[in-house]
Amino acid sequence: MAVELRLMIPTRQAEPDDRELVQTIREGDELAFEQLVRRKTSKVYALCYRIIGNAEDAKDISQLVFIKLWENLEKYDPQYAFDTWLYRMVTNVAIDFMRNKQSRENAVNSNLRLVKTEAEADQGVVVQRKEIEQVFEDVSASLSPKQKTIFVMNQMDDLPSSEIAKILGCRESTVRNHLFNARKTMQLQLQKRYPEYARLWSAE
Amino acid sequence: MTSCLEFRSLFHAGTNDPALLEHLRSCDPCLDYAAHLDPDVMFRAIGGEDLVPPGGVDAFVEDVMRAVHVRSKEDVVESHQVLSWPRRLAVAATVAASVVGATLVYQHERTPLPVATQIAAVTSRPAAVPVKLATKPVVETYSSSDATIVEVPSESAGDTKIVMVIDDKLPADL
Repeated sequence: MAVELRLMIPTRQAEPDDRELVQTIREGDELAFEQLVRRKTSKVYALCYRIIGNAEDAKDISQLVFIKLWENLEKYDPQYAFDTWLYRMVTNVAIDFMRNKQSRENAVNSNLRLVKTEAEADQGVVVQRKEIEQVFEDVSASLSPKQKTIFVMNQMDDLPSSEIAKILGCRESTVRNHLFNARKTMQLQLQKRYPEYARLWSAE
Repeated sequence: MTSCLEFRSLFHAGTNDPALLEHLRSCDPCLDYAAHLDPDVMFRAIGGEDLVPPGGVDAFVEDVMRAVHVRSKEDVVESHQVLSWPRRLAVAATVAASVVGATLVYQHERTPLPVATQIAAVTSRPAAVPVKLATKPVVETYSSSDATIVEVPSESAGDTKIVMVIDDKLPADL
């Protein structure tokens, strides 16, 4: 009886996983691609936003990533995790964008960054999330696009260095090296611009 | 859902516990507390949640799909243009004309001229001067009993190059 009852319970159709969706898209199903875009939009956009630091640019870059995804889906090898492949595409496009942007803006922005007064710096530190975002944007501007990307993936997306190495196609030691240098550079920038935070945050 | 009390009792420097990080990212007082114990969590507090692009996910997906459709149409048009029949015919005709032309040139150069039509205008032949043609010769069939053909022999025997045809009745379009 118990078995009969179980059989009568309507089973919910399981959502196809990423690999199955890709297979369906390869067979020409555009709706499956739409489903994949919808599923990955928030993750892709969040990573782009944290690397680029500007909502509109991050949106454009995310869209470009999905268009590239559509054009290169044939190259995806299902024996690897789809997210690793997707993140590689995101980081490549975002790093390219950052490199171009940096070369355009470096000269213009170098003298425009905020420096807090000593009086402000002496006040007790209360961590404000929005302010941290602003601080991060300011001090991470001095990182190379690759350093920033690795820092964001490791510190904000909680990806281990082994996973980042897979995404970027490099050695784990290279990732750790980039992380160390990123922290060092950011600490220097913090000391210059935000001394109250520099006391909190120190490089290893 | 981790409470603030639980968070403060469980939190330690370098933690990777997802539940603690999630709490950290939604609670400013605990972030302040954690930042003093572990300065690294300061920037880690920014991450965590997924973000929604400006305009919302639906508008974003629509834009992507529109762009994909445009690209797909462009690809179809391009591939259609490459394979179109008029273009194929034009290419085939050009190739055929080239082959026929080359064959005619080859045959014409290999065939000796009839002796009757050869009038030696030059009795004492000058030393052979290498002649460089600026353009490829156009080969036409033409017969006339009144034509004067001025020829300059090349260095190799039996290989005659015609450089001039003088004929009052020469058709204008030849």
